[in-house]
Amino acid sequence: MNRERLRHFRTRLLIFLAVLGPGIITANVDNDAGGIYTYSVAGAKFGYSLLWTLVPITVALIVVQEMVARMGVVTGKGLADLIREEYGFRTTFILMMLLLGADLGNTIADFAGLASGMSAFGVTRYIAVPLGALLVWALVVKGTYRFVEKVFLAACVFYVAYPVSCFLAHPKWPDAVISTLKPSFQFSAGYFYMLIGVVGTTITPWMQFYLQAAVVEKGIKVKEYIYSRWDVIVGCIITDVVAFFIIVACAATIYVSGNRQINGAGDAALALRPLAGHAASALFAFGLCNASLFSACILPLATAYYVCEGLGMEAGINKRFHEAPTFYWLYTTLIVLGALAVMLLSEAKQIPIILFSQVANGILLPFVLIFMLRLVNRDDLMGKYKNSRLFNNIAWVTCVVMIALTLVLVVSAFFPNKLPA
Amino acid sequence: MAVAWRSQAGFQLLGNQCENSLFTIHYLQFTIQITMIYFTELDHLPVYGVKGEYLGRLEDLCVDPSQNSLRVASYLVKTPKKALLCITHEQMQSLSVRAGQTSVSREELRCYAPDEGLLHVKKDILDQQIIDVNNRKVVRVNDVDFDIQPTDHHTELRIVAVNVGLAAALRRLLQGFVAKHTVRMITSLFPTKTIPWEFVNLIEPDPQRRVKLRLSYDRVAELHPADIADILEELSRDDQKAVIEGLDEETAAQALSEIPTRMQADLLESISAEKAADIVEEMPPDEAADVLQELSPETSAEVLADMEKEEANEVRELLGFEENTAGALMTTEYVVVHESAAVEGAIAALRSFEGLLESIHVIYLVDDHVVLAGAVPVGRILLSEASMPLKELATDPLISVPSHLAATSVVDLFHKYNLISLPVVDDGGHLIGVVAADDILELVINKKQFR
Repeated sequence: MNRERLRHFRTRLLIFLAVLGPGIITANVDNDAGGIYTYSVAGAKFGYSLLWTLVPITVALIVVQEMVARMGVVTGKGLADLIREEYGFRTTFILMMLLLGADLGNTIADFAGLASGMSAFGVTRYIAVPLGALLVWALVVKGTYRFVEKVFLAACVFYVAYPVSCFLAHPKWPDAVISTLKPSFQFSAGYFYMLIGVVGTTITPWMQFYLQAAVVEKGIKVKEYIYSRWDVIVGCIITDVVAFFIIVACAATIYVSGNRQINGAGDAALALRPLAGHAASALFAFGLCNASLFSACILPLATAYYVCEGLGMEAGINKRFHEAPTFYWLYTTLIVLGALAVMLLSEAKQIPIILFSQVANGILLPFVLIFMLRLVNRDDLMGKYKNSRLFNNIAWVTCVVMIALTLVLVVSAFFPNKLPA
Repeated sequence: MAVAWRSQAGFQLLGNQCENSLFTIHYLQFTIQITMIYFTELDHLPVYGVKGEYLGRLEDLCVDPSQNSLRVASYLVKTPKKALLCITHEQMQSLSVRAGQTSVSREELRCYAPDEGLLHVKKDILDQQIIDVNNRKVVRVNDVDFDIQPTDHHTELRIVAVNVGLAAALRRLLQGFVAKHTVRMITSLFPTKTIPWEFVNLIEPDPQRRVKLRLSYDRVAELHPADIADILEELSRDDQKAVIEGLDEETAAQALSEIPTRMQADLLESISAEKAADIVEEMPPDEAADVLQELSPETSAEVLADMEKEEANEVRELLGFEENTAGALMTTEYVVVHESAAVEGAIAALRSFEGLLESIHVIYLVDDHVVLAGAVPVGRILLSEASMPLKELATDPLISVPSHLAATSVVDLFHKYNLISLPVVDDGGHLIGVVAADDILELVINKKQFR
């Protein structure tokens, strides 16, 4: 009997491992260069006091991601496809162009993150960035979906650099745990802005497209959906656990030291060196490089994918260059532009582009979330898999809160001087 | 290209017409007989009643396949109060890129009652995926082209083609922001890509609606199974199901054999066990065994139970072999004759063979106890006298493998001896199956892709 049960468990575990991938990968890319920077600043400036936000953020992330994964499994179509079929060509086109702009900005931010992380090892950006760009380009153009996914999953494992780095920083664990579980609030504009920043980097429009497309490309069956749901949940939790360690590492060192100003994700790594030792600093920088490279690969890939999908052109890693030329050209162009921008433009000149991408993301998110919620509730598409009423209420509340916070972030991005440092 | 010429003609006409306040079909009659109008231009077109009263905006066009598969049978107009009016084609007196004019008043028009049997141009065709039978591809529709013809006292629209090109995409973007003739001028600069309506195969997941709309997949069924497989791989699960259900079992089986095993299993699980059994029966036994292994044990058992006894037994035998061995690779569809037979015996055996003849390259010889005794290439049989004993034509040396040999070793043998097929024997030397070169090729290519 026991052996029977064990075998049953083993089969289920095997199915889970086969389905695993899209959810974990998507959630991890969420911790890209921009995300790591935001968490580092949150830890450096406010210590442990923002940790509690990670709990509601994780819930929100799971709620949203679960819906798109479900849509992908049930309909077998990508989000861009569904939006095109429901809302027509023009809407889709405008969405896609905004996403293209937003993602170009994100790609630049990721290559900047790579440059910043590698500089902690003394490697100049003129070597790190072109090499990184070539690596991610070749991976997708020459690889197949299964191979690429394996590389991506391996990249997820390297996020372990952050927990290790955090342990080396010897934080006060009881304080960290208490701050995570007990919400607290500081009534200052800087705190509020940081809070919005942390939330804003969590749920982005492109993730929804990527996750759904990845689920579809993987061909997950409706019967296996339960495993896919766990894939999403585990992914979201891992992501925010990594975020937790980043915040704690910076809080235990930079915040405590009193000199709390950091200007980039690479800065945080350097700031750790005198406070937590060489090993912690190197691990932190390594984590940043890994995350940047990882996102610099997935972002252009996802963008090329859903733009082609929405506009009705051939796309997919399993296709060859001549079969899906637009797809591969878009991918290539995004990487080349992203890498060139980091190499040729000074940091001051990159800021307007990144600002634009933040704004584009902010404008897009409401539309994407509302389209998503309307699609996931359609009887003819989802059948018995549409949202239950309770889940629907949670989802709407989550989305409205997300939209409101993102809009505040967008508006405040235009008035950086109004904010206290 | 006729289509390109037509749209060009349409554009010139529009160019001439833009000075006049009304652009009517009656005028067209004198200048040119055929002209083209696009759905994008008709979408949201204002429509007026017989007394010139404003009725609303054109919302959709309906084709009634039970009457005429090309003609637009009715026009749906959305009134300012959001009610949907249904204007039949006889009631539509004239239609242009500027306005529609009905021959009846508002009171005589009925409200639209939803009808599954009508094909809605906007809802069912525009922005949806269709199969381009001519180019063997799945494409997304950017626009629908109509031929506009004045008939006695009313206007008739006929579907001519669907538009998938850049020009149509641009038209969708610009329409409503720029005057219609300007749109035509701009889009004429870009390449247009149309698929004539007769090559368009719509995909409808609902089987009942498929019947009502008279959709058939006969044209798809005429394609090469490998092309059908490519089309299937592009579609979502429901759409795949729609196409498979619309094909005859034999074509479905051949097409299914060409798609990845996981996708096969997924598809077979989504259709009824009965239909699945019919399809699996038609598949080569080795493919059938592969896909049954991928199915859940319950579904697999159900499908096997629904299959003809003989086919089911063949597949069951193959299911017993361990994965990645010669036994799992082999098929049980091959031609075998007694070793004492002559060429005429072999030809008779070929004639009575029920499987795919294209896959038979070698005829196997066995003794009284079904122990493998020789292999004769079909080519040698072709060039020999009818009375020639097969034994004398057999290849030497005879290469065979035991069923438990690893798949990688089988691949090596194929490579080393340039084989096109390889007999598999059990411990007693009895012939139990044949590994074919195409299965080896598939194995090698898949390995390479997974790295």
